[in-house]
Amino acid sequence: MNHRLTFYLGVLASILASAIGLVAIPNWQFRDLKPFMDDQGYEHPIAPFGARSVGRRVYTDLGCLYCHSQQVRAANFGADIDRGWGTRRSVARDYIFDNPPLMGTMRTGPDLANIGARQPSRQWHALHLYNPRITSPGSIMPSHGFLFRRTNVDGTPPVEAVLLPAKPGEAAAYIIPTERGEALIEYLKSLNHTYELPEAK
Amino acid sequence: MSAAYILIWGCMLLFGCSSICALLWAIRTGQMTGSQEGANSIFDAAEPIGKPTDAFPGAKR
Amino acid sequence: MSVTATEINAAAPDPEGYVNERVDLLTRVQIDRSCRQTVVWYYASAVVWLLLGSVFAMLSSIKMHNPDFLANYEWLTFGRVRPVHLNLVGYGWSSMAAVGTLLWLQARLCKVRLPFRRVLPVTCVIWNLTVFAGMIAILAGYSQGIEWLEFPPQALGSFAFIFVILLATSLKMFAERKVKHTYVSQWYLFAAVIWFPILYSIAVVSMQLPSVTGAAKATINWWFGHNTLGLWVTPVAIATSYFMIPKVIGKPIHSYHISLLGFWSLALFYNWAGTHHLVGGPLPAWIITVGIVGSMMMLIPVTTLAINHHLTMIGSFHMLKTSPTLRFVVFGSMVYTLVSAQGCFEALRSISRVAHFTHYTVAHAHLGLYGFFSMIMFGAYYYILPRLTRNEWSSAPLIKVHFWTAAGGVILYFAALTWAGWYQGEMMNNANIPFIQTVEYTRPYLIARSVGGMLMSIAHICFAILVWRILRTKPVSQFHGPTLLANPQSEAGLAS
Repeated sequence: MNHRLTFYLGVLASILASAIGLVAIPNWQFRDLKPFMDDQGYEHPIAPFGARSVGRRVYTDLGCLYCHSQQVRAANFGADIDRGWGTRRSVARDYIFDNPPLMGTMRTGPDLANIGARQPSRQWHALHLYNPRITSPGSIMPSHGFLFRRTNVDGTPPVEAVLLPAKPGEAAAYIIPTERGEALIEYLKSLNHTYELPEAK
Repeated sequence: MSAAYILIWGCMLLFGCSSICALLWAIRTGQMTGSQEGANSIFDAAEPIGKPTDAFPGAKR
Repeated sequence: MSVTATEINAAAPDPEGYVNERVDLLTRVQIDRSCRQTVVWYYASAVVWLLLGSVFAMLSSIKMHNPDFLANYEWLTFGRVRPVHLNLVGYGWSSMAAVGTLLWLQARLCKVRLPFRRVLPVTCVIWNLTVFAGMIAILAGYSQGIEWLEFPPQALGSFAFIFVILLATSLKMFAERKVKHTYVSQWYLFAAVIWFPILYSIAVVSMQLPSVTGAAKATINWWFGHNTLGLWVTPVAIATSYFMIPKVIGKPIHSYHISLLGFWSLALFYNWAGTHHLVGGPLPAWIITVGIVGSMMMLIPVTTLAINHHLTMIGSFHMLKTSPTLRFVVFGSMVYTLVSAQGCFEALRSISRVAHFTHYTVAHAHLGLYGFFSMIMFGAYYYILPRLTRNEWSSAPLIKVHFWTAAGGVILYFAALTWAGWYQGEMMNNANIPFIQTVEYTRPYLIARSVGGMLMSIAHICFAILVWRILRTKPVSQFHGPTLLANPQSEAGLAS
């Protein structure tokens, strides 16, 4: 029966058309994007390496993207730039090394595309991840105590230790990030899209 | 960029037009007639039109 | 029609009519019996995933307003329980309930017995193992980190195998069908069985390819994510309501001829709608524009469905009181009209500027997958399970509690998060308001969401008790209940 064939072909055609349009063509369009070399000879963006790339994996498996986006919208679209979340809008070239993409679709927490530029301090990130309420009162971000070891101060703390703010009636204590915690902090500090790109002027 | 743009709109236009053509063809060749028969095809002698087939348990019929 | 064929038969016994009735009844009983094992396995598994999915939903929801709740366990951190919730209700509950409904509907509509009765229950086992393994993988930190595709890519193997069997089953039933006319539900069911495996394999494979860059992957992500809803679960639910509404009230569809337009416009436009999830994002304007155009064009299939479903109901609304199936299915299809219309406009740039990145989207997603899809599936369970198990539902009040807690829960959930999300978005777009205020503003509404979630969880417990009881009790020998169709004596005779 040829009506049945028409039906099957129509159903197939409809999905293949969109697969061409939204899978193949975008891929073809972005395939040749290369990092941009600035006047000093530095390339932007750069591929994550070492601890940053481990940290990116930690960011992914802890599901940070369900509350944090990594994209700055244009100045005429929302207040991202006015809030200081970026100096320019994000463009496709910013993401050429992103695998998986972590652009996100939710902002329960603030955008992190440039968190490394906003908060370059290791100590801030350590305290914030250990207990977000220390650095950001009112935050509903979960504590990530499992990324740290907490020790009461007894003598001189090691160099990698981050002192917890003193609480009345509690012994002074410090935290040391685990390997995964340190990697995540390294990754967050590396998030910086403030370099200039010709297409995002 | 512009090539992709043309391709995408070309695709949409092509499929849009072909769907309209298919619709016209369907109407002309009588695919749209006998639609009442289609709508009735889920009923039969045991469950005819006019007979409800579901109720809360325990309800009196 | 006020006089039914049965009444005519009763008044003046007509031998030919009586024979036809017996034959139709016998066919139907045989078809239902052939579906029994497969559909019951799929349905029972789906309920287990629904319960487990609700547990993870409650965990995620409570963690949103009490962030230190169970925060010391890495595997129970918010960023893991939330995707587990999504995948369990998406691939466990929704998809397995959809497969059960789809197989039964196709067998009924083709008037043939379910083929491949040995291998189909095996696909159910494989499906369960896949979802279970995926859940463990996410909890243990092996998520792919891509929304809707968190499961490890190996899941593609199982789903490919399962869908080859499902496609073969559909094709075989259709080829051997005993009905001249192809009813509208069939188009949707077929299309869904063809679409999902294509979508899933293209998405998983292209996500694994290192040559595909970040921005393209984000596009593919939402092409897949939105199409899973639009081209997999939505067609099954539409097919179900196209069958259940006329069948339960005993009245044909209002405007059957426009259902063709509804089907093809959905096939043509839903495909392209997904990229509205990236409005304002770092992608070329055309990708987003295509998504917005596709979303707006969805008004066509939505309107045709609204005409067919709601106008068919006119004059039969009193039956919402008497039929559990109708109550759930009509609620679901009314929500479909609402949620789809909302979705069309939500894609517009001016709305997205505020609503994107907020709880508004979360509310919309739940209205769709729960208020529309899950409610229709509940309705399908109430119709199909008594016919498969040859049992009555054990308690009418419990069904009513199920309905009202589910409906109340999802309405509260939607209202709270829509309101909160919109103002969250307005505040976020005003740089003079500190970001933390958007968090503090939403917090009471997040608590309201937990209350809504709790109501839905109560609904699921009632539902699970009902399903457990109907599966556990022995089939009744006397057919006196109203759900079990008209002719108790003749049907009892056929079944024994």
